[in-house]
Amino acid sequence: MNISLNWLSTHLDLAGKSIREIDDLLTFAGVEVEGIVPKGVSSEKIVVAQIKEAVQHPNADRLKVTQVDAGEGALRQIVCGAQNYKVGDKVPCALPGAELPGGFTINETVMRKVESKGMLCAASEIGLPAGEDGLLILPADAEIGRPVKQLFDSDVLLELEVTPNRPDLLSHRGMARELATLLKTPLKAFEIPSAKTTAATSIQIDAPDACPLYSAIRISGVTVKESPAWLKERLESIGLRPINNIVDVTNFVLHELGQPLHAFDAAKIGGGLVVRHARDGESFTALDESEHSLAGDDLVISDTTGATLALAGVMGGLASGVTVTTTDIVLESAYFTSQGIRRTSRRTALSSDSSYRFERGVDPEGVISAAALTVKLILETAGGSADAAIQLAGEAPVITKPVALDAAKLDQLMGGSIALADAEQILTRLGLSKRSDGAWEIPSFRADLQRHIDLVEEIARVHGLANVPSRMLGTFVPASAIDGAYDADMILRRRLAALGLYECQTIKLISDAQVADALPLRPLQDGDTIRVKLPLSEDHAVMRPSMIPGLVASAVRNVRQQAKSLRLFEMGRVFRNAGGGKSKDQESETLGILLSGPTRPVGWDQAEQIADPFDLKGLVAALIPGASIRFSPKDREGFAIACDIRAGDQSIGVFARLLPSRERELDFNTPVFVAELDLGKVRKLLKGIEHVAELPQFPGSSRDAAMEVASTLPNSEIEGVITKCAETLLVDFECFDVFSDPSSAKLAADRKSLAYRFHYRASDRTLKAEEVETVHKRILKALTEKAGVHFR
Amino acid sequence: MKDQIPAIEADALVRISAATDERALEDARVAVLGKKGSLTLAAAGMKDVPKEEKGAVGQLLNAARASITAALEAKQSALQEIADRAALAGIDTTLPARELAIGGLHPLTLIRDEAIAILRRMGFALADGPEIEDEFHCFDALNTPADHPARNEKDTFYFDSGKLLRTHTSSVQVRTMESAKPPLRIIAPGSAYRRDEIDATHLSVFNQLEGLYVASDVSLPDLKGTLEYFLQELFGPNTEVRFRPHFFPFTEPSFEIDVKLTVKGQEPRWIEVAGCGMVDPAVFEAINKSRKDQAFDPEATTGFAFGMGLDRLAMIRWGIRDIRLLIENDVRFLKQF
Repeated sequence: MNISLNWLSTHLDLAGKSIREIDDLLTFAGVEVEGIVPKGVSSEKIVVAQIKEAVQHPNADRLKVTQVDAGEGALRQIVCGAQNYKVGDKVPCALPGAELPGGFTINETVMRKVESKGMLCAASEIGLPAGEDGLLILPADAEIGRPVKQLFDSDVLLELEVTPNRPDLLSHRGMARELATLLKTPLKAFEIPSAKTTAATSIQIDAPDACPLYSAIRISGVTVKESPAWLKERLESIGLRPINNIVDVTNFVLHELGQPLHAFDAAKIGGGLVVRHARDGESFTALDESEHSLAGDDLVISDTTGATLALAGVMGGLASGVTVTTTDIVLESAYFTSQGIRRTSRRTALSSDSSYRFERGVDPEGVISAAALTVKLILETAGGSADAAIQLAGEAPVITKPVALDAAKLDQLMGGSIALADAEQILTRLGLSKRSDGAWEIPSFRADLQRHIDLVEEIARVHGLANVPSRMLGTFVPASAIDGAYDADMILRRRLAALGLYECQTIKLISDAQVADALPLRPLQDGDTIRVKLPLSEDHAVMRPSMIPGLVASAVRNVRQQAKSLRLFEMGRVFRNAGGGKSKDQESETLGILLSGPTRPVGWDQAEQIADPFDLKGLVAALIPGASIRFSPKDREGFAIACDIRAGDQSIGVFARLLPSRERELDFNTPVFVAELDLGKVRKLLKGIEHVAELPQFPGSSRDAAMEVASTLPNSEIEGVITKCAETLLVDFECFDVFSDPSSAKLAADRKSLAYRFHYRASDRTLKAEEVETVHKRILKALTEKAGVHFR
Repeated sequence: MKDQIPAIEADALVRISAATDERALEDARVAVLGKKGSLTLAAAGMKDVPKEEKGAVGQLLNAARASITAALEAKQSALQEIADRAALAGIDTTLPARELAIGGLHPLTLIRDEAIAILRRMGFALADGPEIEDEFHCFDALNTPADHPARNEKDTFYFDSGKLLRTHTSSVQVRTMESAKPPLRIIAPGSAYRRDEIDATHLSVFNQLEGLYVASDVSLPDLKGTLEYFLQELFGPNTEVRFRPHFFPFTEPSFEIDVKLTVKGQEPRWIEVAGCGMVDPAVFEAINKSRKDQAFDPEATTGFAFGMGLDRLAMIRWGIRDIRLLIENDVRFLKQF
């Protein structure tokens, strides 16, 4: 909401208060100051100067070199590009050091090799309303050398954000009342003309719940014309455009007192006024010429013929508005309840200064006085004569009730920082009064004060948190399961970073197209993705069912920035339904990893090594040490070489490579490997050991075996056979070489050779050679029989 | 014999001294001390030495051997030293490092972890709740009127099921109070969603940190002391903190919190970092209704809650001008942290 400081000053003496003080005052009243816009000329260094000479600039066709008298004795040379002046004119001259709106400062300068010691200014350049093109020509009698600011009125526009609980601040009088409370100074007297009222004869309220009070008065013989200067200036000072005297007065009173008003052209009203709900589907053309189809719960003002004149409290109708030909008007001032106005405003997408205030709540006791002030101002600015009395239908609703203040509770919440008497004084200053029973009477403009806590809030707000002591105490609390999960996740994050991966954070809403890159732990069926109803754009329409789409998009972005090595991870929630939409809104936490390109930076003595599946496998193993990570191939639609990632006997995640066609489509030059791990399971695997293992007391013994197998035989089968042997003396084994020869020169192309090393040890003795041999031979035999291995 | 030995010794010392590498030195050793070396042969001649001279010749021989051996050893270590020096001389340590792959944590993780570490020191435990929420936990229980603008489909993401994406982490307050009794002291980091177009200062998905302390005598001094301490830990011990009255449906009184910060090259200014307030009694009433008990009796229970935007804290901390940098994951950005 905009407040003009000059306008505010008509209600409150602000002399001697700096803008900074007013800013602080409003800020600590709970009103956010979003902008402070000085109007008029601010710098003292912009002075009246007379142009004594203007000659063509030697080096620029469009510039002139002027000599001006700025009242300094000597003339001042200034280069100027304007064309609209003649020698002898007086214009604003910004001297070096002058600060112009927009924050730039005038310096002496050289323009195309000609010195320029200042700037001759247009109106808009010094903070005045933009006029004709070119320099602002000042009156001929303006005194040379005098600061230009003295020739124009200045003002300050305050752009304020009023919280929704304080509709009483949505006017200059209301804001002044609040500041007066905080400053402990009286408001300036403000005379509201007395108004006679009479029971309505030509107003019928059919919807008393939505409109408990409606007033109207006819003013005949008005002349609709341009508003007087003072009125236009007031409206312009808060950024409103003057329209005509009738409309301007209603707008003025709205911003003066906070009560919305509306003027109908009396000639357009057939009979009396009816406040009723709209007929379903009734059409309505608003003042802004927008067309609306109304619903049964919209409130309208119609005449007795049934014609709809206005959408109550929101906007007048195009047909019934005041025009230049209007001679008689009917002025409406009413109280509409907030819910209905809010609903209609939202549904029709029509909003106005009027609906803004009704939605938040106006003062029911202010309806008549606002009408009276409006009548007075219309008569002053448009002539005519008003009916003797304002017609009144319904009555002002009572929207406040007395509230008691509990001294003990106040003391507890405030930490004893305010005496009861001081607290009560604050309430009194805010316009509350203490009744004989001790409860506080609430003024009708403070309907937000309904409960004890509302009174406490007012006291705390005015007292200020600066005057409340700080207490540093707290109860002890046990760690939660979430604490454990968080700690495990941070361990994983730090490990991944130490393993050379960057953590990403992607938007959890993705596009339908991106869902194709999803690699959730369980494949998605139709109905398993969750789509928001009204996405902002199709790029952000689906809740991510997997980390991979976001990581792929991040990788693509980096590739476009010429990044070669992509080592990314992200941890967080994924969202899906399960069973084709049967089980809804499952949220789980996963870890996504993406590797592509060189595994480490290429240097002066190291060749590029492009990431392959074993890099990612190694990474997962390093992340969860001791978990015996295995990859178990399992096809995934839309991916290549997909595997379940297994730890022991449980599946903890998925691994895959993007399809080469997808990689090409996304402009990747290197294979892209991704993995997604179930954090719930990984966290459990991080639990650590329960008992430390004794270190071996006796030496062990190793045996190597080179075996030749069909190239299609997965290594896991060999591992499986070895594991199944369950030899207690075999403490470990590893594959240390894989050889194949596509040329068939050394080994048939459909064969491969694997070299394994077996480690044998007993915990209670040094093994004899023959013991080792016996066990080793049993294992080799099993391999021959069960895996078809041929030993070389 | 007596005359031979000094000659052998002199000759050996010359050869040793002349040796320029290990091999020449070894040759010299063999030539003197080897099986057929000159000194070995000379020693073999001892048997022909007259008995009365044996003592003197023996001494001569031993002295020569000792001197030659010492020379050999000295030369040996001199040569080793030269070789070592040569080996080290070839290393240009000013060549670039053999780089390892370096990774790092996202700035949001860093700031969140820092905030959580401080609050845990202060005795808060972590809590959590779903991001796909219902109106009860996101709005109703938080005293938000049925026609409040935040419930608008223009501002909040809804699903066909009627559920919505939580607009704040405050829903975790409700979830926690439904399942636990006071005293409660929790913090809840998490995502929240608003239907804002993504631009330099807005994300439709952003990150918050929520806090709640509910007990029997929680007061404004507790709120003030807790948040002042937290912000001074986060932004520095001398950071000025101010509380501006504000309005939130679920706290009363409510405040917004500013800290006074100096951005390099600028005047110090107040920057909004958080919202807070005393839990509105209407929230406790809604919780009791949902729990079907009086665990949060509004006459006997008080509490405060606070919430802050982690994206915003990260932007303030590192001078990040465009919030989109936080979700684009450009490695050139990420590697700076």
